[in-house]
Amino acid sequence: MSNKIFFLLVVILFPIYGQQIDIHSPKNIKKFADFLFCDKDYLRAIDEYKKYLEVVNNDTIRFKIALGYSLINDQSNALQEFSSINNSSALYEQSRIEVLKSLSLSKSDSAFYLLANNLINSKSQFSNNAQRLLNTSILLNENELPDKNKFLIPFESDDKLLLGNYYDLKINPPYKSETVAGILSAIIPGSGKIYTEDYGDGITAFLLTGLFTYLAYTNFENDHQTRGWIFTALGAGFYAGNVYGSVASAQIFNAKVNFDFENGLKLFLEDKNFFTPAYDFCK
Amino acid sequence: MIFVNKKILVIILIAIANLHSQTLKDQFSYANELFNEGKYFDAITEFKRLQFFDSENQFSFQSNILIGKSYKAGAKFDDAIKYFTLAEISSRNDEEYFNSNILKARTNILRRTNHQAERILNELLVDTKFKSKENEIKYWLGWNLIFLDEWKKASKIFLENNLDTTLSNLCISVDDKMYSVNFAKYSSYVIPGFGQFYTGEYVSGLLSLSWNVFAGYLTVNSFIEDRVFDGIITANFLSMRFYSGNTQNAEKFALQKNLEISNKALNYLQFQFKGEKP
Repeated sequence: MSNKIFFLLVVILFPIYGQQIDIHSPKNIKKFADFLFCDKDYLRAIDEYKKYLEVVNNDTIRFKIALGYSLINDQSNALQEFSSINNSSALYEQSRIEVLKSLSLSKSDSAFYLLANNLINSKSQFSNNAQRLLNTSILLNENELPDKNKFLIPFESDDKLLLGNYYDLKINPPYKSETVAGILSAIIPGSGKIYTEDYGDGITAFLLTGLFTYLAYTNFENDHQTRGWIFTALGAGFYAGNVYGSVASAQIFNAKVNFDFENGLKLFLEDKNFFTPAYDFCK
Repeated sequence: MIFVNKKILVIILIAIANLHSQTLKDQFSYANELFNEGKYFDAITEFKRLQFFDSENQFSFQSNILIGKSYKAGAKFDDAIKYFTLAEISSRNDEEYFNSNILKARTNILRRTNHQAERILNELLVDTKFKSKENEIKYWLGWNLIFLDEWKKASKIFLENNLDTTLSNLCISVDDKMYSVNFAKYSSYVIPGFGQFYTGEYVSGLLSLSWNVFAGYLTVNSFIEDRVFDGIITANFLSMRFYSGNTQNAEKFALQKNLEISNKALNYLQFQFKGEKP
């Protein structure tokens, strides 16, 4: 009887220990890769998953490799890996919306629009996500926009308000005219900068140009030629600088408008994770 | 018979457990080999694999230290410090605690978070457990001062107990070559352009002197001719502009020259100094 128990124990225990010992077995490689993936060490996780794939063919692993590449912003490899997931896989739909995200991040516009329209027309479970990503990208890249109501349809009510504002900003960006700024400053020094909302610089330019002009005038009037010319040079410098500065100020203002618009939309997209679904790989 | 079987069972179980331990030892040796070959990326992967399967944390301290060192070698200082801190947490004795903290301080020196390095080293210095390690702690305090550009203070530390006379002499020579930023700045207040001459920027010094003389002449001349408003404006916009520009310029030259001197010294320390470096 005891011999039997002993034999049974050895038979049960040996494989358990044996399994733990082989840290390079496919199962353990996968376990370790999962750990690295959830630890956000994506590059190492990808290497381990690739080792696992040499032995076991698994679409989830392929998907995680692609996702890893996407998360480290290696969109070229991400696209390659996502594209390797065939349409019989359970993760096919997810991989298509992830491809759309990668195309958007790699600025492959023509391929992006083609796939986005494909996804929208295919009535897949992520059609609406594709429509949302497409519409947000249109705001970022295109000059011609669809009708506002039609544009906002795919979004949730909270996002509608925000994107409605961005839509209006895209239609009527609050730019300042460089020509108007230059002309205003040529007529009244500093007024161009006040027009571009650079109030401090505008007032300073007005005061300094006025001051040096006055000093140049009174010095010439009193026959102090040297000082007259010095103040003239200073006044002329400030005057020319004020006109040039106003044009530059308008350019800077417009660049800031563009930057705030693009940055705001990009942050919105990142916050929404490009309308890709959330995965529970690390639960 | 039952007794014999029990003994055999225990032996088999111990043997299997040892086999597991041996696997981890082999894994550690393999990772260590990669580390020694300078294959730091792969070494980190293998040490992390070791940690993942080392459920009893047998290799926790060593693996954390070597992961930290690998990250440090790849100039990933933030990650290195994270792993040295994990090593500190998993240290089993004072020696391990000390070593992990020294590595943390050394990485902070390289990361230029020198006040953090100073805090770690000072904490070790006041700890009575590490009285015998005082020289080593001071050696790294000296290096920290080098990276803080405090060459004179560093030379004093290296001179204590003849810690490292080569480093001390080097620090003294660097300190001797350094320009006094305050002297350059304030001498230019007295004689415009003097600070530039002091730092060897003769053309700039001459130009600065000329502009100040010219602006000063115009200012004085305005007041002499009873054109007070002209004088005030000239003094404010010309004289003061050239005068303050001259002192700022002198200060900038001194700082720039000092940076060149310290960079040259650091370059020497990095590539030619044979002793231990952070």
